[in-house]
Parts: sequence; structure tokens; C-alpha cells
Amino acid sequence: MKRQDERSVGELLLDADFTTRQILMDVTGDDAQAMLRTWGEVVQSASELWATLPQPVGRATSPIDGITMARLESMSQAMHRNQVRRGWPGDGASDERLLRVAETFTRAADLIGRRGGHIGPTDPAVRADLDAARMRIMHTLYVGAHSVGVAAQQHVADVELATTRGMSDRERRAVPRGQDAINRLAAFEQLAGAYVGNQFARAAQGEHVHGPHGTERLQQALIGWDIQAHRTLAATPTPANLLLASRTQAGIATAAAAILHAGARTGNVDTHAYEHRLAPTLDATQQAWTHVATRWAEMTTPASRTDLDLVHAAGELRAAVREVAHDKTTWAHPEVMAGRVDLGEAAQHFQQALSTAVDVACVTRDVAAQDTNLSGPARAMSHRANGDIDRAADGGHENEDVVWVTSSDVHANRTVPIPEPVRAGLVDATDTLVQTASNAMSAAACLDRFTHDRPSGPGQEPTASRSRRHEGPTPMTQDVRSVARP
Amino acid sequence: MMTNDTIDRDAGETLAAVARLLHHAAVRTWAQAEAEGPRSPLHLLGLGIHIASCQAVAMLPVHADLEGQAPTQDDVVQLLRSAEELTRAIPVLDQPAGISPLVVDICDLMREATL
Repeated sequence: MKRQDERSVGELLLDADFTTRQILMDVTGDDAQAMLRTWGEVVQSASELWATLPQPVGRATSPIDGITMARLESMSQAMHRNQVRRGWPGDGASDERLLRVAETFTRAADLIGRRGGHIGPTDPAVRADLDAARMRIMHTLYVGAHSVGVAAQQHVADVELATTRGMSDRERRAVPRGQDAINRLAAFEQLAGAYVGNQFARAAQGEHVHGPHGTERLQQALIGWDIQAHRTLAATPTPANLLLASRTQAGIATAAAAILHAGARTGNVDTHAYEHRLAPTLDATQQAWTHVATRWAEMTTPASRTDLDLVHAAGELRAAVREVAHDKTTWAHPEVMAGRVDLGEAAQHFQQALSTAVDVACVTRDVAAQDTNLSGPARAMSHRANGDIDRAADGGHENEDVVWVTSSDVHANRTVPIPEPVRAGLVDATDTLVQTASNAMSAAACLDRFTHDRPSGPGQEPTASRSRRHEGPTPMTQDVRSVARP
Repeated sequence: MMTNDTIDRDAGETLAAVARLLHHAAVRTWAQAEAEGPRSPLHLLGLGIHIASCQAVAMLPVHADLEGQAPTQDDVVQLLRSAEELTRAIPVLDQPAGISPLVVDICDLMREATL
């Protein structure tokens, strides 16, 4: 005999939420077709559950509540009709985990229908429970839509990888179908996300569905990052903001090396220039940014706040790089990257980014040298000051017996102005940073020449009209104070 | 998503613990990345975890206590898993707005770190 499900509505909703989280953590491209077949069922059962929740009595309800769910259901139905019309993913197995989510929603709806769907809630506590239930349903749809979208993206990436190795027309047709599903799921996710993120008004006005992909997204992300980094560091050059800026710049250098390496392997970047000039200078500037980042990290505390606009710009940049260059946990194969985007065009965007990185490095050095408000936790500052003094002594400098941070400050780990040796070490590190960033910029000048000299072929359209090019001479590696931003 | 001065006390303490775990996971990931060298893809994973940590801190009241004890685990996947499990105890309400995107980010990072 089947055991009776004794769980409450709240427990069922939590189960549905946690199941979608687990799906998101484990999802792969192989799951895409089954998930796409099943997703509509999840949305329908969520909508039916939503409808069984008792409507508020005696207070004005926000019309967006019902409208959001109705729109989500409508989007899901449109997606289903499109799948039927296109014949993809077609008949086949359902996704068992998503089915479980749908069944859990249905079970919760049954419980409510039997035990109290007719009751008009007047008690504030009951109303709060209902609000929480609606939010949990929407949150589950948000997480679920994201996981189906991830599966579809991975599926498209897998198909594109197969394309580079030869495949049938039928298989090749899965790419635009998958892309269409990705776009529709992104719109769904955005609407559900606006509800749970309390940003409904912005989403309803903007109706932003999906942004650019590939090199266009990469270019926008690099430009957006550059603009935001300058804005944030001009307004609030705190160690926390400088830490994120430095780590992101290090990430740009790492990504540039990976993508230019792929470009060199696939004939989109001069191989000799990559191996002998670009790669060594990119490695050096990456290490310099990383070193500077560790210095800024010492000056932060766990409670340090980072400018959220900077956080979002860094997040978008990271996502854009992953879209081009990653394959699960590591770098994608060069041919795979070349199949995704025009690597010559990507190389030009990185050339621009490496130029503007010099200016970010100069701003960073200026803060290190001139900002009198720089401070950090006493223990870390004391430790760093003593370390830098010891290093200077090893280098032949006289080791003066100076207490840079008082013992009471160290004991309480108060925030103290950065000691003189710490600033000196920071300035040294940022001087190296400016130098290495300048070297990388100079080395990258060859990218402009090569990508404009290479022949155009299928999928290799000339990019001169879309790229932002230097009009003046290449700045020298010495005495670079700043580079005009395009 | 912004600083939240009305977050429930228990939820705030849990979210602070999530932020600590993410911070520690980012530090550990970057340490591994630096050991592997400048071209390690772990640099970008560390950046992603740090970004999630910044998002978690941003949802806390200005004077939230984030010092606490450093996590004892050093395994990045385990740290991320612990962070995700802690978020299960945080109500998904309009306060703190933004917990859903953070949950998705942590799950994405888990997949990125383990697949």
C-alpha cells in the first residue's frame, strides 16, 4: 500500500524549491530535451496551485500578483506551442525531477482545496503565510527556469562543439531551436526574478528580454566594466572596491590569454606574436593585478562593502567571458571558442581592454600613493608593515625599530591608517602594475594589425567598422600616466 | 538588491554566515588559482564567488556582525554547499529582496566548481 504523504503545504513548497536547487547544481546539456518537455507541466501546476491560494479579504491586493503568474503561464504555453510547431524536442522521456516538482505543487493544491481554499483570510498571520507561499512558488519557478535555461545553453554548446567535428543537418537544426528556447526561458526567468527580487516595476517597464551574445556581449561587458571601474574608483576608492577592481582586471588578463591562445591556434591571432609577446606580458600583468589585489584584501574586513554597480559590472563581465571561453570547469577547446565567436573580433575587444587597463592601473597607483584616507585592520597592517620592513632590511636598507601600530590597536584590531611601510609597499606594487599593464598594451598593438590583415571568410566578416581603434601612435611603455579612453 | 535594515534577526545572522562561507571559499579558490598560475580558470571562479559574497554582504544591515569564526572547511565545493544549505533557512520574502538571485548564483557556482 502506498504510504500517505503527510507533509504540510509549507513543507511541500520547500521540497519543490530544494528540488529545483538540486537540479540547478547538477544540470547538464544532456538533460535539456527532457527538461524542456516537462517545464510546461511545472508551470501549469504552479499556476493551478497559485489559483487555489485563498484570495486576500479586506485589503487591496496588488494586481501584479495574479498578472505575473498569468503572464508566466502564457509564456510557457507559447513556448510549448512553439516546440510542437518546430517538432523539437519532440516526444521522449520527461525529466523525473521536474515531474516531482510539478506533482508536489499539485499535491499542495489538493491539500489547500480540501482544507481551506474557500476560507477568506483575515488574520494577518495567515495572510503573511499566503504571501510567503506565493513568494516560494515564484522563487521555485525562477530557480527552475534558470536551470532549464542552463541545460538548454549547455545543450546548444554541446551541439556547436559537435558541429566542429561534423554532424547531420538534423543535429545542426537543434542550435537555433535551442537558442530560441534559451531566449524564451531568459524572459520567463527575468519576469519571475523581478517578482522575487521586488523589482516588478523595472521589469514591467523595461521589458528587456535578452541581451546580446558572443563578442557583442563581451565588448559591451568590457566597456561597461571600464566605465564603472572609473566611476567607482573616482567616487569611492575604498580597499573593497579596489580589491574587486584588481581581481576583475586580473580576470580580464587571464581571459585574454585564454581567448588569444585560442585565436592563435585557429589562425585568428598571429601565433608568433602571441607566444613571444602577448602571453608573457599578459601573464606578468595578471600576476601584478593579483599581487595588488592581495594588498587591498589585507586592508578590508569581512564587513567591508563593495559598490553594487561595480559588483554587477564585474558579474556581467565574468558571464560574458564564460559564454565565450568556458567549457564546464575549464577553458573551452580553441576550436570550440572559434565556433562560438569570431576570435579576431574578440581579440580586438581585448586589445581595447588592455589599453584601458593601463588607465585603471594608473588610477590604482594614484590612490595608493595619494589617498590619505586609506586604512586597514590593525593586525593585518602591523603584520604587513613588519613584513615589508624585514624585506627592506634584507635588501640592505636600515631597519629602524619603529612601532607602526600600537599594541592596543592590535589587541582590539581597530581600523588604523595604513603605516608608512605598507603604503610604500603598495606604491611599489602599483608601480609594477602600471609597468606591466603598459607592456601588455604595447604587445597587444599587434592584434589590430593582424586582425585587419587576415582574409575574411565565412563567419569571419571584417570588423573594422565595429571596433574602436586607436587613432594615435602606440603609447610607449615608459612613463605612461594615463590613456585616453575611447 | 540593497542594504537591508529591516531583515529578520535570525535571517540576518544566517545570511552573515553565508557571506563568511562565500568569502572563505573565494579566498581558497584564489589561493588554488595562484598556485596553478596566471592562466588558471580558477581565477574567474574565485571572482564569481567573491561577487556572490559581495551580494550577500550588501543584503545585510550596515552594522551587521560579519567577523565571527572562520569556517573550518577548506574545500571550496563543500563551502559552497554549506552556504547553499544555510540559505534554505532564510525566508524567501520581499525582505530580504534579492535572496533568490543569490541562491541561483550559489547553485551556479556549485555546478561550475564540480562538473
